[in-house]
Amino acid sequence: MADYDPEMHICDDWISITMPDRETILAAQVAFTACNHWTEIVPGLNSIAVQFDPVEMSPDEAATIVRDQLGGAALASEPSPIMTTIPVCYHKELAPDLDYAASKLGIKADALPSWHQSHTQTVAMLGFMPGFAYLESPEPCPTIGRLAKPRQLVKAGSIGIIGQQSCVYSFDSPGGWPIIGRTPLRLFDPEKAEPALLSAGQAVRFESISREEFESWPRADEE
Amino acid sequence: MSIRVLKAGLQTTLQGAPFSGHRHIGMPAAGAADSLSLALANYLVGKPCGEIAIEITLAEAIFEIDQPSSIAVVGAALYVRINGEDQPHHQTLHLKAGDKLHIGPSRPGCRTYLAISGEIHADRLLGGRSTYLAAGLGGFHGRALKDQDVIALSDISSTKKVERTTPPTLRLRYSDDHVLRVTAGPETDEPHNGILADMCLRPYAIGARANRMGMALEGVPLHTSEASNMPSAAVFPGTIQLPPSGEPYLLGADAQTTGGYPRIAQVIRADRHLIGQLGSGSRVQFVHTTAERATEIYREKISLLSPWLGQINLW
Repeated sequence: MADYDPEMHICDDWISITMPDRETILAAQVAFTACNHWTEIVPGLNSIAVQFDPVEMSPDEAATIVRDQLGGAALASEPSPIMTTIPVCYHKELAPDLDYAASKLGIKADALPSWHQSHTQTVAMLGFMPGFAYLESPEPCPTIGRLAKPRQLVKAGSIGIIGQQSCVYSFDSPGGWPIIGRTPLRLFDPEKAEPALLSAGQAVRFESISREEFESWPRADEE
Repeated sequence: MSIRVLKAGLQTTLQGAPFSGHRHIGMPAAGAADSLSLALANYLVGKPCGEIAIEITLAEAIFEIDQPSSIAVVGAALYVRINGEDQPHHQTLHLKAGDKLHIGPSRPGCRTYLAISGEIHADRLLGGRSTYLAAGLGGFHGRALKDQDVIALSDISSTKKVERTTPPTLRLRYSDDHVLRVTAGPETDEPHNGILADMCLRPYAIGARANRMGMALEGVPLHTSEASNMPSAAVFPGTIQLPPSGEPYLLGADAQTTGGYPRIAQVIRADRHLIGQLGSGSRVQFVHTTAERATEIYREKISLLSPWLGQINLW
């Protein structure tokens, strides 16, 4: 990393840095977080951005600090976070697009849950809403694509999938990803020290639960 | 001690300083859409610039406080009335218990801030207390105020009493016509060469569905030769995205943290508070500047404001 010359774009109070891969993004996030120069550090899918106070530093000064932090020391990656298991109910009432997604994948709808549970996924980033997670699967798979018409309301906990990429909705919100299940877990709890259940870089696997288990799952806010 | 909402209007929320340092977990800034008007209002009741105040959008709102208190109104409201009598903006005002406070519709401009001497009770999370509407977090139960809501206020005797009037030179002129300065965004040049120059040549009107999250910029669509999608990347309040329609989209205070459309421009920090005054039908002209010049402009603005407001931060 010593001669790493990152491609950057500098706005007046934030810098977007293009990144070669997920490992570098995570390592950069660790390096940026270790100092107190940045008011925001935001990983993207192939970039990371830092925001700063323009009274404290000029864009040029900020860019110099970015270069130093990315290149000065070898970027250390975080130890892989512990695998998180997400219980999912694939019941059709909670999975309105199960048939659609299965047909795009070329499998039967009742085979989709076991397909979905068969490989570990990685949290690429959080965004869109607090705690909303974008997941990436290492396994190539056919493109499913977004719904032609986005839904006005997708329930919190819904699992959306567009192919190799999937997501977990953290709040009731509009949304355009085909929905193949729902988790009873709360993705964002502001009362907790770490409000977001998932974080970038985390490994995730899904585990099927019944409708009864879904309905009786202990909710954090009712404990 | 409390303030009762007699008429909530179109969208009235508790807003102060934005949430900071949590965009990596998807938590947007929220906070006052017009940070400068908020700061000016808070100062008139002796509070720091980022304290929670009541943000009123477009329509008339009416309040009643059950204890004598000091208030101040700064923003786009056509009038401020106590028991039907006109009162000045930009000045410490005094309410007796049971007085009715009318804050008029926005003409021109979009938002008005009501600061109150007592501390306004608001839900706290992640070090902030502003309202983030889309997820129902912070503020008054995470939502806009409704008629007959009662907001708790702490005892005002703890707040120092002040009598202040904003100097005329620091008063914003509320308008439906704005010039906003922008720097290039990460996708301005590659693959969208020339698009920023095009955008700065054309006037835009704010679309009908403008809100705290963002607003469409209506005008001649910008030509997009490239597929207008990219891997999701960070966006901020003031980022201008270019969706496939070619109609630019300006993000506001409640902007999501990441987006998948090209980021073709960024409204400079010094001008970002004006986004809070853009409503449907407002007109905007963009002017290109550099990041270095934008920093100078921001520092000039802060040094103009700080002799009056003290420690001040705009967002």
